[in-house]
Amino acid sequence: MSARRIALFGGVYGNRPALEAALADARAKDAEAVYFLGDVGGFGPHPDTAAKLLCDARVTCIQGNYDAAVAVGADDCGCGYSDRRDVRFAHIAYVYTLGHSSSEHRRWLGSLPPLGRITLGDRRLLLCHGSPRQVNEFLWETTTPTGLLERFCDGQGVDALCFTHTGLTWHRALPSGRHAINVGVLGRPANDGLPRVWYTLLTAGPELTVEFVPVVYDHESVARDVERAGLPPEFAETIRTGWWTTCLERMPVKERARGRY
Amino acid sequence: MNGLPVLGPTAQSAPRVAFRELRSVWFQITGTRCNLACRHCFNTSGPRDPWLSPLGVDVIRRHLAEAEALGVREVYLTGGEPLLHPDLFAIVESALRVAATTILTNGTLLGDGVADRLAALAAASSYSLELRVSVDGASAQEHDAARGDGTFAKALAAIRRLERRGLYPIVTATAPLEPTAPGALYDRLREALLAAGVSRPRIKILPMLALGRADAGAPTAPLGPADLDVLDPSRLQCTETRAVADGGIYACPILAGLPGARLARERIVETLGPTTLFHPVCRTCHETGLTCGNA
Repeated sequence: MSARRIALFGGVYGNRPALEAALADARAKDAEAVYFLGDVGGFGPHPDTAAKLLCDARVTCIQGNYDAAVAVGADDCGCGYSDRRDVRFAHIAYVYTLGHSSSEHRRWLGSLPPLGRITLGDRRLLLCHGSPRQVNEFLWETTTPTGLLERFCDGQGVDALCFTHTGLTWHRALPSGRHAINVGVLGRPANDGLPRVWYTLLTAGPELTVEFVPVVYDHESVARDVERAGLPPEFAETIRTGWWTTCLERMPVKERARGRY
Repeated sequence: MNGLPVLGPTAQSAPRVAFRELRSVWFQITGTRCNLACRHCFNTSGPRDPWLSPLGVDVIRRHLAEAEALGVREVYLTGGEPLLHPDLFAIVESALRVAATTILTNGTLLGDGVADRLAALAAASSYSLELRVSVDGASAQEHDAARGDGTFAKALAAIRRLERRGLYPIVTATAPLEPTAPGALYDRLREALLAAGVSRPRIKILPMLALGRADAGAPTAPLGPADLDVLDPSRLQCTETRAVADGGIYACPILAGLPGARLARERIVETLGPTTLFHPVCRTCHETGLTCGNA
């Protein structure tokens, strides 16, 4: 029988305490299953223990661009930055993550599927990391046309598309009655000046209910672990303040204007 | 420009790449009409006798509708200087109904009134309106040598005007042909922008194209079939973009209007087959990868 309520997690980015808190929250909210849409590592200090927790909690996982890169030891994370500052910070995060990912962890990352198909009530859902056509495509709210989302749904034969990768939640009910949902990320806050992070609860019914759930966790401990790990202070600042300090190149102007940097 | 030939026999030995899907569409809305005549302009735009004419609003709207039906993600408005188009705001409004839209400008015509109108259009749309302002060099001396006296100060003023309205622009700089220390231009430009009171510098470095006024006459061999063996075709702009300019549809904004480059006269959908990398300037994209888009 199809589930009626599920939780969808986006990029953990090596932030194990946020993942722990989100798992507990989803259980408390009666989620029947948890799905993770990729990027176990990157940015945060705990890639390996986050991977172990996902496995232990029997979370169904989709592969993100970071996971694919770490699995094969690629040159970079595959986010495609060209801005010199972003390239430098992305490189630091990637080298750290690669160096703190066991061979067992990397094999597991390499085994993850790029797409997932599930049903929720009578709705067919596609789960992916970036977009159905490209693992590292950024589907921001203000640069993703409605017509393109309809085409994705048509092409995949689904009633809802669920994705992550940008780091910011959004939901659009499409004119056809279908849905596009960016589930957010657990690894870093939503560039809104608060340290909380977000996941998504979907509940089946006559209408699909999409709920973005804030997760408050011990962010200070993560910021201290970032510092102890020798990662840049800019990363710890984001964890503490909720404002993005790096990897801003791909963010469109409307989203960027809502942040501090 | 209707006398331009559709892609012809000269291209027979050039490599071809498959088209993937239409992700961006460029409109050369003012043709090659510009208020400046920059030293390195790849399409030789300028104030006198533009060799490509502007596009009318109706033509632009027709192609916007076609691009929307094809699933386009991004719209780019360029020229020449797009702010010279008499129907600029109507064009921007139409484009923002379809997708996120970017205007490429030299910033010298962007006063408070224009900035206010653009900010209002941006606020009225659910899609992002991006402005790209060209700044070539980290000082007035460098920039003005390429673009004309006083243009650096005007461009900086435009950037600050846009920032004040929340339209944080992308500053684009053309890398010099002569090799310099990696990142040197980026670092100097970032420092100069911060010093000038720009709070959130967004910087994009573009390669110099040996074309138009930047063509020093050094011979460049066109690509051959073997060149594609070492290339990921997804790095080529022509696998996912098309440009609408005077006379028809072209593979990319760099080739717009060039002899032999037109893929069709009327409809974008007729141009979505394999693209022939026939022009020597295709080597730049081959070497640097997809660069014309915002990111």
